[in-house]
Amino acid sequence: MTPLFFESIPVTLPRPAIYRRLGYRKEATRISTGQREEVEGYIADALPLLQLKGSALRLPIELEKPLLISLPGGNTFASRKLARFLKDAREIVLMGATAGTAIMEAIQADIGGRNVTRGVVLDATASEVVDAGLDWIMGYFRQSLRREGKTLLNSRFSAGYGDFALENQQLMHRLLQMDRLNVTITESCLLVPEKSVTAVTGIV
Amino acid sequence: MNKGMIKTLLKKRILILDGATGTELQKRGMPAGVCPERWCTENPEIIQAVQRDYREAGSDMVYTCTFGGNRLKLSEYGIIDVKEINCKLAVLSRQAVGPGVLVAGDIGPTGRFVEPFGDLPFEEAVTVFKEQVAGLVAGGVDLFVIETMMDIQEARAALLAIKETGDYFTIVTMTYEPDGRTLNGTDPVTALITLQSLGADAVGCNCSAGPEAMMEWIRAMKPYATVPLAAKPNAGIPRLVGKTTTFDMDARAFGAFSKPFAAAGVNLLGGCCGTTPDHIGALKRALEATPPTPPRRKSLAAVSSARGHVILDRDKPLFVIGERINPTGKKALQQELREGKTSLVRQMAREQEDQGADLLDVNVGVPGIDEPLAMKSLLSALAGTTGLPLVIDSPKVDTIEAALRLYPGRALLNSISGEREKMDKLLPLAARYGAMFILLPLLDGEIPETAAGRGKVVRDVYRAARRHGFTKEDIIVDGLVMTVAANPDAPGETLKTVSWCSRSFGCRTVLGVSNVSFGMPERKWLNAAFLTMAQASGLTVAIVNPANLELMAMKKAADVFLGKDRGAAIYIESFRDGEKTEKKPAGGAPLTPSEQVHQAILAGNRDDIVALIAGLLKSDAGLSAARIVEEFMIPAILRVGELYEQKTYFLPQLIASAEAMKKGLDHLEPLLRAAKFQGTSKGVILLATVQGDIHDIGKNIVALMLRNYGYDVIDLGKDVATETVIEHMKKCKPDVVGLSALMTTTMIAMKDVMELARREGLKTPFILGGAVVTDAYATSLGAAYARDGVEAVRLVEKLLKIS
Repeated sequence: MTPLFFESIPVTLPRPAIYRRLGYRKEATRISTGQREEVEGYIADALPLLQLKGSALRLPIELEKPLLISLPGGNTFASRKLARFLKDAREIVLMGATAGTAIMEAIQADIGGRNVTRGVVLDATASEVVDAGLDWIMGYFRQSLRREGKTLLNSRFSAGYGDFALENQQLMHRLLQMDRLNVTITESCLLVPEKSVTAVTGIV
Repeated sequence: MNKGMIKTLLKKRILILDGATGTELQKRGMPAGVCPERWCTENPEIIQAVQRDYREAGSDMVYTCTFGGNRLKLSEYGIIDVKEINCKLAVLSRQAVGPGVLVAGDIGPTGRFVEPFGDLPFEEAVTVFKEQVAGLVAGGVDLFVIETMMDIQEARAALLAIKETGDYFTIVTMTYEPDGRTLNGTDPVTALITLQSLGADAVGCNCSAGPEAMMEWIRAMKPYATVPLAAKPNAGIPRLVGKTTTFDMDARAFGAFSKPFAAAGVNLLGGCCGTTPDHIGALKRALEATPPTPPRRKSLAAVSSARGHVILDRDKPLFVIGERINPTGKKALQQELREGKTSLVRQMAREQEDQGADLLDVNVGVPGIDEPLAMKSLLSALAGTTGLPLVIDSPKVDTIEAALRLYPGRALLNSISGEREKMDKLLPLAARYGAMFILLPLLDGEIPETAAGRGKVVRDVYRAARRHGFTKEDIIVDGLVMTVAANPDAPGETLKTVSWCSRSFGCRTVLGVSNVSFGMPERKWLNAAFLTMAQASGLTVAIVNPANLELMAMKKAADVFLGKDRGAAIYIESFRDGEKTEKKPAGGAPLTPSEQVHQAILAGNRDDIVALIAGLLKSDAGLSAARIVEEFMIPAILRVGELYEQKTYFLPQLIASAEAMKKGLDHLEPLLRAAKFQGTSKGVILLATVQGDIHDIGKNIVALMLRNYGYDVIDLGKDVATETVIEHMKKCKPDVVGLSALMTTTMIAMKDVMELARREGLKTPFILGGAVVTDAYATSLGAAYARDGVEAVRLVEKLLKIS
């Protein structure tokens, strides 16, 4: 049960998603050239600060209706919605990604008053990039599974969605050995550094 | 069949590879989820039947069923003896197809990413592949194929494993996503440059795409290929039908791509997932009379990283090597290297890339550090930061060796001089890893004074380099720049050296330009003039600081005059923004000073707001600070709020305006205080992110907005204990308390705060906010809910009955 580690996930900027997260609406929002250049400059500033890493683990599961998902080693997830999501799967992929500490340090310094505008752009960029990191991990598994005639479900599920309690993040953090990525978890199940995420999807 | 015979064969015809093995085995009874390698040893007649069918269909080569035959994959099925199973499967293949068909030892990915992209150490990856190679050699394979690689570093590890085992013909094929890059970001030409220089005998692509897309990748690679090209497309685009991946392209349609593939320059063609002996038969029939197109060049002046490449075409504009990642004279960088940190290096890499560098020089020469380790650390950091190829700059052989082995591309080595000892060590190293190198025409530590003397050293080093397989395409001669302050003739000799290399000897040249002006005042002008003279003499590459605007501008201008920037396209693109800034503002009446202040807040102009306010205060209008705030600034920030709510503005605009407002207010604060301006505080708001929660960006934005609207904000920060909030409520007597939480696990602390406040008899209204907080949740606790900063201001105004 050793996870795969991805030490350097290529960062491809999901620009539309970053702008959407910042509240940009194509049909309504109007930005001057200077404002766009400023935002783009801040997005560019984020790039050297992002150290996108991840880990992933492929595991067999057994579904015990209506809500129990049994993992090897006596571990379980209890969630009706997750069980429904995984109904066709006999295996899952757990995945985690982090944008690293440098970006969070910059965000905190900026939001703390250094340059709040830049801070919110860095924040949105890091959030979307770390999410794109999970997309990348899913792409990796899709490609690897092709030879087995299998693929992944189209979407993924994270702790905190619906009835899949955030507390499950403790187990995911442990199984994914995210401490090796320098990601810790607080008692209230928050990942540190903040721009870190976990998710689960099914293999079909 | 040995390597030479295979090469001869490839000169005569396009070789037909086999088709899919996995999908054929599944069709013939291999159950899902088993180890294919073990299953084939237990069912030898079935794998042999598949391979015989491919031979009958016309395959010149079959792959052993050892795609997952490495230790890491086999151990998942409890198989320990890697050599034995690979040997057995190679023997089975040979028995199946006989002597007339080539048997390729098939090597697939380990399933783990290799350093610097993953946690599998590079040397361990090489060892893992060597174990498999040993088994396949024992089984009598004719050649090797490394296939379906999505990580260029893993492909390099496998290729080195084969090269370090013996002299075997080796094909390497990568697998690309529909966007034409591997999952790890490598494009086909970049992979080609890296792999052919490292010793692959054929390079190409397989799996993941149908023939149409793959043909484009072959076409893109052909002009730069020094080796034959291979393609093994899938039978069309995979499609999920129910729970099964299917491929729709039949043999006839697949075969129709044969001739276009040949025209694109393919030299080895077969099929991957979904293809069958019928598909291979269709290829064979279509290509029977089609001659191969051999590689168009014997060598290529090009360097690569994992995610990009630079072809050093002498007809192109001058190439720039960014020189900044060098600790000489840079204390901060020295400190960072000593501490094993890389953030400054990554920043320098990004900046130089943005400023127009084509390659990045990397030097870790700090006294007392473990240079090979520091170099490896930097290469790893830069592999994830920049797509620019790197120049390995070190005088130390062990540092160079560590770098060349780990670097996931084709590096440029800086440098190899005419000193015999260095040549003997560095030429074989550069050759082993396929690096280009900068030839330094030094001899025994002495720089020949004249161009003729330098030319002699160049010829001597090149003669030695040829014995290691180098051509003039693989070297870049350093013309050796000496300062004009010490010797007025020195720059002339350098230019003559560049000119001789470029026009007589026929190789590329490089100069570290800034040395020329050492010890002189206003060095930038000397550097710029010297650079353009060198360009005119035929210089190919300059080592400079790309942040030097004068130098970069002069380079671009000289590129235009030398006909290397066709249509001045790069020059025009570079300076288009400059033109824009020169343009006069559009017509219309100029704004008054007060309108400019209003406008600055609307536009989020933090740079000019203070100066504009200062100007307004000094203007003839005689406005007080209080009137400026009330009549121009507050209406502007209110308008910003409206624009944000209408979504005409998005968050960065809202925040920029808020910051402009804050700067303006901070500037006016002493005047407002002196005038006892009553409008500056509308109330006291206490803010906190609740206990257990560390996400407080939204709360900070709310604080900024409230302050701009004239509220005194007491911000307790994040992860604030319930008791601390209550204590401050008692002490500060706020008009409103705002609490934020991002997660479901922490939002419950909001309830704790509110309940304790009520128990303590505190009646202050609460506003709640945060990603998971809803209106319903807030209402259930007896609080109000604010979606964002603007709404928080509105709510506070409503609660305090201000608006």
